Amino acid sequence: KWKGEGTTQNLESIVIGRCYDYIRIVNPAVGEKNCSQIWEAFKNAFINKDPCSILPNDYALFINLSLHTIPPNKSLFWENNQLLVNSFAARGRRYMSLGDTLFGFVGDFLNWCGQADSPGLDYESCPTTMECENNAVESFWRMASITYAQHSSGVIHVLLNGSADGGAYPQPGFFADYEIPNLQKGNISQITIWVVDDIGGPDIDSCGTHSVKTLETRLKTLGYDVTCTDNYE
Amino acid sequence: MPLQQGSARTRQRTVLLVGIVVLLAALVLAVVLASLLTHGKHEVSPQMLKWKDRGTTKNLQEVVLGRCYNYITAQHPELGDKDCLKIWESLKEAFIYKNPCNITSEDYQPLMELASHPIPCNKSLFWSKTGDLVHRYTKSNQNFLTLEDTLLGYMADRVSWCGDPSAPGINYESCPKRSECESNPGSVFWKMASKMFAEAACGVVQVMLNGSVEAGAFRSSSIFGSIEVFNLNPDKVSEVRIWLMQDIGGPQSESCSGHSIKRLISILEERNFKITCEDNYRPVQLLQCVHNPDHTDCRLCTNST
Repeated sequence: KWKGEGTTQNLESIVIGRCYDYIRIVNPAVGEKNCSQIWEAFKNAFINKDPCSILPNDYALFINLSLHTIPPNKSLFWENNQLLVNSFAARGRRYMSLGDTLFGFVGDFLNWCGQADSPGLDYESCPTTMECENNAVESFWRMASITYAQHSSGVIHVLLNGSADGGAYPQPGFFADYEIPNLQKGNISQITIWVVDDIGGPDIDSCGTHSVKTLETRLKTLGYDVTCTDNYE
Repeated sequence: MPLQQGSARTRQRTVLLVGIVVLLAALVLAVVLASLLTHGKHEVSPQMLKWKDRGTTKNLQEVVLGRCYNYITAQHPELGDKDCLKIWESLKEAFIYKNPCNITSEDYQPLMELASHPIPCNKSLFWSKTGDLVHRYTKSNQNFLTLEDTLLGYMADRVSWCGDPSAPGINYESCPKRSECESNPGSVFWKMASKMFAEAACGVVQVMLNGSVEAGAFRSSSIFGSIEVFNLNPDKVSEVRIWLMQDIGGPQSESCSGHSIKRLISILEERNFKITCEDNYRPVQLLQCVHNPDHTDCRLCTNST
């Protein structure tokens, strides 16, 4: 029916398990959260609805219940280098990327969607973003990205892939469309951009060129103090 | 008329008196019942045993189940036939309602059978006193697997559990330290899982040891030194590669030519394994360099030819 993979099996157990894993072991500093309620809010965002009609705000209650502070100077934004970010951020100990927050942690690498007129999850297939933008997973990450940006403060780090096809700073992209517009200027002291090429990969983009230049200009125009560093030339 | 009034007043007073007596009786009954009930509760769950280590992780069931499903669904779909509910139940049965100083390997046998899975050859990575570094390495290089990257280890990592003979059978307050008793649920689990992990290894195996530890990189008292080394199968394992990692800018307590390494090599040679040792294996050292990019050991062009 749809072109994308279906809902991940055992989604409920995985989400609830990850929620408790996070609050008990990964980051107990966030305190007590009601993981069953968090699951219910997550699910209610998209079940029993047309899977092409899910909006970021449908996850508002989920975000409300799973929100916690992001320590200043620890936010790490990224594009096209998720595995690198995960090993660099060291599971929140050095940096806290979106995937290291509770709301990002529970959804990372999973897939889900519902169906109209049925309380069940669709395990067969789910719409891709090409088929329709307002799908459950896309809207989840839009909402999570907006929230993450809104709650980031201090020195912000951005890790971009200088070897990526189409440029290190993708437009459209999550960082461009959902994160930059939601940064709280008054809470941010500086934005530090790192452009890192794949080992042995092409050096397509660098600081001061092409898409990175576009990004630097945009941020400076918005009034931010911006620095940019390349990996080895 | 006065007579009637008199009898009405008497009736009123009697009703009042009866009412008060009934109230008093009800009150006494309530007090008696309450004390009986609470007394009963105390009898059903007396104080649990007190230990020195942290107690069972709260929401252990949800965490273990979630990790199991996460592992077999999102990470290793080839293990799709594993029954996570059964696996959780078998873990629980191993320790619930039992005295946590009396745990045996038999207690964990059903769990071990349900949750174990084959390990591809040349991928086993053992470790001692390098927990943080070795797991960062396997997260970035899926060519190696530590015990904590197998289903059993993944479910149990950083989690604790122990039981108690009194209800509800799980002690969330405290659990025994090894120094209090060796046959505690955690120690027995990890010893058994480590033994099986070693037995399952085949081809070339790797071990990451810490060359900055004062007590020596290889210790016979560690799980690696006391269990894993002796359960490697010489018919299956062709070679043991030691990676001796020193902290960047840290003490260089030992290298491949050090005493404890010599001892390890002789133990392994006696069991007919081929052994190699490498100081500061570069791929792992690069990970250490993420924290210390300006150190001389972390310059990119350190090898000239």
